[in-house]
Amino acid sequence: MSQRVTSVSRVVIRFAGDSGDGMQLVGDRFTAQSTLFGNDVSTFPDFPAEIRAPGGTLPGVSAFQIQFADHSVSTPGDAADVLVAMNPAALRANLGGLPRGADVIVDTDEFTGRNLVKAGYPAGVSPLADGSLAGYRVHAVALTALTVGALRSFDLPRRDAERGRNMFALGLLSWMYHRPTEATVAFLREKFARRPELAAANVAAFTAGWNYGETTESFGGGYRVASAPREPGRYRTITGNRALAYGLIAAADRAGLPLFLGSYPITPASDILHELSRQRHFGVTTFQAEDEIAGIGAALGASFGGSLGVTTTSGPGLALKSETIGLAVSLELPLVIVDVQRGGPSTGLPTKTEQSDLLQALYGRNGESPVPVLAASSPGDCFGAAVEAVRIAVTYRTPVVLLSDGYLANGSEPWRVPEVDELPVIAPAFATGPNAVDADGTPCFQPYLRDPDTLARPWAVPGTPGLEHRVGGLEKADRTGEISYDAANHDHMVRTRRAKVDRIARGLPPLVVDDPGGRAEVLVLGWGSTAGPIAAACTEVRAAGGAVARAHLRHLDPFPADLGELLGRYRRVLVPEMNLGQLAGLLRARYPVDVESLTQVRGMPFKVAELRTAIEKVAADV
Amino acid sequence: MTYVIGANCVDVKDRTCVAECPVACIHEGDRMLYIHPEECVDCGACEPVCPVEAIYHVDDLPADWLWHLDAAAEATAGRADAEPVSDPATVTALPPAIQ
Amino acid sequence: MSDTPLLTIAERPASPPSARDFRSDQEVRWCPGCGDYAILAAVQGFLPELGLRRENIVFVSGIGCSSRFPYYLDTYGMHSIHGRAPAIATGLAVSRPDLSVWVVTGDGDALSIGGNHLIHALRRNVNLKILLFNNRIYGLTKGQYSPTSETGKITKSTPEGSLDHPFNPVSLALGAEAGFVARTLDSDRKHLTSVLRAAAAHEGTALVEIYQNCNIFNDGAFERLKAPGTRDEHVLRLEHGAPMRYGPAGVRTVVRDPGGGLRPGAADDAAVVHDAHTSDPVPAFALSRLPEAGGPTPIGVFRSVRRPTYDGAVAEQGRRVRAARGPGSVADLLGGGDTWTVPAPFGSEAR
Repeated sequence: MSQRVTSVSRVVIRFAGDSGDGMQLVGDRFTAQSTLFGNDVSTFPDFPAEIRAPGGTLPGVSAFQIQFADHSVSTPGDAADVLVAMNPAALRANLGGLPRGADVIVDTDEFTGRNLVKAGYPAGVSPLADGSLAGYRVHAVALTALTVGALRSFDLPRRDAERGRNMFALGLLSWMYHRPTEATVAFLREKFARRPELAAANVAAFTAGWNYGETTESFGGGYRVASAPREPGRYRTITGNRALAYGLIAAADRAGLPLFLGSYPITPASDILHELSRQRHFGVTTFQAEDEIAGIGAALGASFGGSLGVTTTSGPGLALKSETIGLAVSLELPLVIVDVQRGGPSTGLPTKTEQSDLLQALYGRNGESPVPVLAASSPGDCFGAAVEAVRIAVTYRTPVVLLSDGYLANGSEPWRVPEVDELPVIAPAFATGPNAVDADGTPCFQPYLRDPDTLARPWAVPGTPGLEHRVGGLEKADRTGEISYDAANHDHMVRTRRAKVDRIARGLPPLVVDDPGGRAEVLVLGWGSTAGPIAAACTEVRAAGGAVARAHLRHLDPFPADLGELLGRYRRVLVPEMNLGQLAGLLRARYPVDVESLTQVRGMPFKVAELRTAIEKVAADV
Repeated sequence: MTYVIGANCVDVKDRTCVAECPVACIHEGDRMLYIHPEECVDCGACEPVCPVEAIYHVDDLPADWLWHLDAAAEATAGRADAEPVSDPATVTALPPAIQ
Repeated sequence: MSDTPLLTIAERPASPPSARDFRSDQEVRWCPGCGDYAILAAVQGFLPELGLRRENIVFVSGIGCSSRFPYYLDTYGMHSIHGRAPAIATGLAVSRPDLSVWVVTGDGDALSIGGNHLIHALRRNVNLKILLFNNRIYGLTKGQYSPTSETGKITKSTPEGSLDHPFNPVSLALGAEAGFVARTLDSDRKHLTSVLRAAAAHEGTALVEIYQNCNIFNDGAFERLKAPGTRDEHVLRLEHGAPMRYGPAGVRTVVRDPGGGLRPGAADDAAVVHDAHTSDPVPAFALSRLPEAGGPTPIGVFRSVRRPTYDGAVAEQGRRVRAARGPGSVADLLGGGDTWTVPAPFGSEAR
């Protein structure tokens, strides 16, 4: 075959099928192949809350979207160029967002009368036959029959053979985009190491898909997407949850502290628990508690004992942990609370993303209860944000809330593997002896005598002779830590706890402003996972000749010291958020700047196009 | 630590304190009551109910009553459960209290 | 990183510590006459027996009158939040198996707001000693009924009498798979101390229910178990291996009921022999229901059975994984999986 190969600069593919069809696995493998090839990628798994909704129905559709390009990409793409639909429901669920002209690859074997009805098509109507797909480039492929045929030599029950069709589809797409295949073959051999016949069958299905692409004429010669230029270094693909787990491990190692995770399973945070549970040899202890409250309680108990206590959860779990976070504020012990946000309120949208826990993280406790709050901005940034959360928790002896979200948790991107010695030094500096003298001149230990620089109190762990002391949730006297109901002391302690959190800002680097021309009058300020869409939108605005500046907040409390000055430099400030304007409200309360809020809560990241339109509208009105 | 019953109890023996004590460590002698210093749990229930202000925490005991701690230890040694005890010689020798 | 011990345990002091060494400098602030004083005195008197240094002992409490306890002991301590002490202590005990960790709680703290944490600590068998002060009333909030108050109790929140059926804490603990369950009385220092001794010697979670008098809001709740004239008739003192007899001069017996439980028997009946070590929890459970069958209230060790501790199993699993995989290398972890290298452009400095 010597068909013409078409070169394109970027492609968005959406793999969609039933929950049990293995679409996430296909997406992960396609991602790995693309990054190994050298493209930049950004991915977005989009799966239902139900574990197994009735097969073939709309609620059961699971999808994985990937954008890969010969240049830097920061989002999984607004809309797919290629939709792979493994059944009628997957087609119907995803057709709405598909631009005309897109390629649609369907498994014709699944378009039976029964399956069409399950997907909600009127009886006797097939979208493959009624002309409704006109305007798309439809590739009708008998994926199931071809897979079963390819696996005839294997002694597999028909159902098992049919399950190989996801690998057939992966093989076909891999051929279409000239992806390297060795890593996937190796992956399948390792995944099915205990069942070599299944490994061989999956490899055979994958290979058959590749060969099908090469022999059929339906796809021409396929497409080429050149590799993207990158900073030199070693790279891997990583999801937000895994990067976050690795950040915790690396930071605990830098601090020389054993890591103790107390957690209760909750979507979309559970993968952090799973990942840390696999790393026991790092001195990691994972404790699956009886509830969210016990998860953080055990973590705080471990911190009291000299471990790095961590708890992971999502919004509803954070609500349950509030009282214990308050106790940690009072005890002034290091503790990291990870909230992987999802749609709320209440149970809300467990598998959809949102940024609506910001105010809960900042204020969701009784009393004046300041807690440093940070947010990760991309899957790979979850690593650095976790390291930073640990640094602050240990240095300032405080609970820290680290915000991620469903989009970052499951999304992935290429990540430059950092060298261990690039990571900050984190010093627990346990107390080892008396730090004061009492009235009669005897050396004594005062558990609330603070470091003058950080305002942190000493961390004296049980087992240290002579430093026996009691801490608790009752207000304590300055320095001695004894119970105190004194009014002036309480006023002092409340202000001191706040001042300690404010001190963190002194150690933060200046905000980075992205304004290539230096002439922008509009600033787009984001936080958390909106970083990718905002960056992509700003790039498009500039490509069209517009000027816009961009900055992104990792620290939500305290704000960086130079934030107020930065906001004052621009005529207009736009703050996009996946909530109803929580950060915008905080900024208006704090700074004399009338920031403009752009919000959406559709369970999905911002579309680049909608951000671009919003930015251009504001810019046109300066 | 313990509470101690002092001289004001001599020849009075109101006994309200005996009923208050949660651990039955107040023993009755011939002329006064004694708190078992090893058994007392420092709860302070006896002190406010004494009508003649005879009971003090050992740390607050008037100096001229300090000897009552030794007298109580001697009188109650080896006794339990509010058993009756004999007065030590130091108490027997006291002049009759003026009523 | 975790192969290096966090700290070295100091050697035993030359002179053994005394009760005085375990007293903190804080003024004790319970109501005069409170049963908590007696328990505090017994614990302070008992701790030196453990042969541990003060710095290796931690008391963790929740909220309630009893939860002031840690402030009065010169060990490490945490006065935490309502009901959560077993969870906090679990994290501490699992991460620091070198410590002796004690939980002090009450009937409201442990059985109402913290009921979930209590049963899960018992089921896991974490190495914790839980002292449950049961006064059958809410004291700190000034006199509402508790989950152990008897039905019909008149309190501030139940002026017409409470309608709740109470928990029997010993039955509850046995149902939650507890390996060690005992009951004792605040005012019986000798018995209290002997039960504490047995609890401390038990590997795993030990639950000690201590009947404690609240002389302000529920005075005399356990009076018939304490008063010299009635206690022999109403208290069965459990001793492993001994026939269960009670009453003045031990004239009454505990016998098997044909229905499967236990009941009071006649003087010449053959008394059932108490076996605290049998793996079957049924006899201990039957014993916990004896008062409901018209029998006496048992005090002492109901059940003392060894099974693997959670903290021990966690440590063992960690050792096994480390032995198999070696100590973790962060560089290997971060650079694991499929990686690719983007070379530095020709002529540029290598990183």
